[in-house]
Amino acid sequence: MEIIIEEISRGHKLIGRHKFAQSHVNIGRGYHSDIILADPHICAEHLAIEHDGECWRIVDKDSINGSYLDEGKKPANGHIIRSGDVITLGKSQIRVIFPYHPVEASITLSPFESLINLMRNPAVLVANIALFAFLTGWVFFLNNAKEVNFTQLFVPAIGLTLMFAIWPAMVALVSHLTKHDARIFTQLGICFVFYNLTWVSDFFESLVRFNTSSQFSMIALLNLLPIVLAFCLFWLNCYVGFHMSSKRRTISAAGLTLLLFGGTFLVQYSKKPDFTVKPRFNSTIMTPSFMFAKSSSVDEFITNSSKLFNKVSQEAKQKKQ
Amino acid sequence: MKGLVSLMFILMSSVSYATEQAEIIFKKLAPSLYQIRLIDIASGEKSSIGSGFQISSDGLIATNYHVISGYARHPEKYKIEYLDNQGNKALLTLKSVDVINDLALVKREASEEMPFFSISTTRPTKGEELFSLGNPHDLGMIVVPGTYNGLKKESFNDRIHFTGSVNSGMSGGPVVNKATKVVGINVATSGNQIGFLVPHEKLSALFTRYKQSPPESIKQQMTEQLNNNQEKLISSLLSAEWQIKKLGDGRFPTIDVPFIRCWGESNADKKEALMMVAVANCSLDENTYISGNFFTSSVEMDFQYLQAKKLSDTKFYQLFQRRLTRVMPGNKAGKDDVTEFKCQHDIVMPTKQNINNKAVFCTRAYKDFANLYDVLYLGISIDKHEQALLSHFTLAGVSQQSSQAFTKQFMESVSWK
Repeated sequence: MEIIIEEISRGHKLIGRHKFAQSHVNIGRGYHSDIILADPHICAEHLAIEHDGECWRIVDKDSINGSYLDEGKKPANGHIIRSGDVITLGKSQIRVIFPYHPVEASITLSPFESLINLMRNPAVLVANIALFAFLTGWVFFLNNAKEVNFTQLFVPAIGLTLMFAIWPAMVALVSHLTKHDARIFTQLGICFVFYNLTWVSDFFESLVRFNTSSQFSMIALLNLLPIVLAFCLFWLNCYVGFHMSSKRRTISAAGLTLLLFGGTFLVQYSKKPDFTVKPRFNSTIMTPSFMFAKSSSVDEFITNSSKLFNKVSQEAKQKKQ
Repeated sequence: MKGLVSLMFILMSSVSYATEQAEIIFKKLAPSLYQIRLIDIASGEKSSIGSGFQISSDGLIATNYHVISGYARHPEKYKIEYLDNQGNKALLTLKSVDVINDLALVKREASEEMPFFSISTTRPTKGEELFSLGNPHDLGMIVVPGTYNGLKKESFNDRIHFTGSVNSGMSGGPVVNKATKVVGINVATSGNQIGFLVPHEKLSALFTRYKQSPPESIKQQMTEQLNNNQEKLISSLLSAEWQIKKLGDGRFPTIDVPFIRCWGESNADKKEALMMVAVANCSLDENTYISGNFFTSSVEMDFQYLQAKKLSDTKFYQLFQRRLTRVMPGNKAGKDDVTEFKCQHDIVMPTKQNINNKAVFCTRAYKDFANLYDVLYLGISIDKHEQALLSHFTLAGVSQQSSQAFTKQFMESVSWK
């Protein structure tokens, strides 16, 4: 004869949960009620849930704003309760559940749970953020054609690091607002590991672009690398921040990835001029230490160029028609 | 004092003599002189003006190609009109062009035999007095006396160096000797008192060819002329001696022909610079005008030697890479004229094997002139930690065969010491 009453938000998120062993439960704003709700639209004695020996029944105590089933207009007074029924009173909602109400299947712990916990480890976290700041400063240094002092590098490096910390902070905030664990340090840890992995993938991309010729047809695959990284990051953000089914998590991560890369692509596409006089070519160069490819001969290079001549001739003919 | 006075007298008399001569010449020739106007059909206003002169009794008029280039490229957009010394206007038809020498033949209706300019058969002598005729800035027909100073030495296609004011609007006007024979056609100016003329032989040749067989299509004729010119140009470049010059520890080629001139610059005086940069570039001084921004037949070679001074090799190469993205073609042709560039790249070691380059080659095709391309090459040495040699050239309006032959020669000529 036990009964569970949950206070829920409008988005059906759990606010409080009460379990009673008695056959009469009073709900209202008055302090003598069994469940005290602070909503000003609720009367001091608003409604009662009573067990008549066979089933539970709702009794509205002539409240000013009434009690209704679900969100609808159907008055709840006299209603025989089934497990899981939602009752609206004032601007609040409660859900009534009987013991042995079915629950969702338990979620298995992910095998990389321990890895995620490692990223949260203060030493690892600090090391990751410091590495990111250092790499950012270093890239600034490499691209600066003038001599620069430490402060001139320090400011943009820290600035950029803070900017990149906004995303994990935002995710943590959203999970906090949706009544999940914020886990901000875990989010920060994951994000900075992935930001650093992006530097690694950038380096790898340059290495491949430097060592291959335009005859190498698999080069487009390189563009997948950052997309895969972003997907993994978003997936982990969802995994850490929110309780959701794995299907929903995959869809959310894919959606965010699409938004990021699709958006970037659209912005670039919209800016692309109809015609450009500027030649676009692979200008990646690295120091001689990273050169592993075998050199071609001048003759091979010139023979290959015939294909280019064919291509542009075709294009000239097509556009003229 | 007496000597000075008599000298002044002689000078004055020669000036007045020249003026008198000019007057006579002008009066005699005025009926055969025209202002040539390109009229935009949609707006009904003139879009460009130049001068022209009649060279046959049946109404054939010679002018510059660049005066009527708008019509040659877009006959549906423009019409050509003449304005004679009586103020009469009428339409002209385009008969033939020589795009390389900037000449064009247009024709007016002629009901009766008309007076015309005769073309000289001999070259003037250096210092000979000549008279340039034309209509500068739409101010009316004028005559400008000047001096013949021989052919311009650095030009691939001959141009006469004329000391006298050739102004815009006089383009296409004749330059005659005292016997009123045409010895040149006004074509360009290079500031104060320096003018350039197309020699009369080019006009005679065009006129003779026209009389033998008029061209069927102007576009076809231009394609042939551009093609022949590029073949002549590239083969003369390839058959000339390629001298190897020093640029830091790098070696680059210059071509020993008078029409390719080289210039150099470096930042050796900048003590605080992170890298030493020495630059040499060689180019053909002239190009061929087709229309608007579309110039062709140009040759440019550019070499840069870079040496890291207070830099790690990683930063040196990073900064070097940023320089590469600034490469632009010399020819600013637009969408209607050319396709976009297509590029290829590879790591290339020339036969001598003492340099390893990242080589980039780009090309684009001309839409109206079949088998002509602009090409661009970029060679970046990647085998020294603290030195780099960048070699670059662009060729405009060349065939696949010429450009590939030139590229091969160029790539094999750049090396380390």
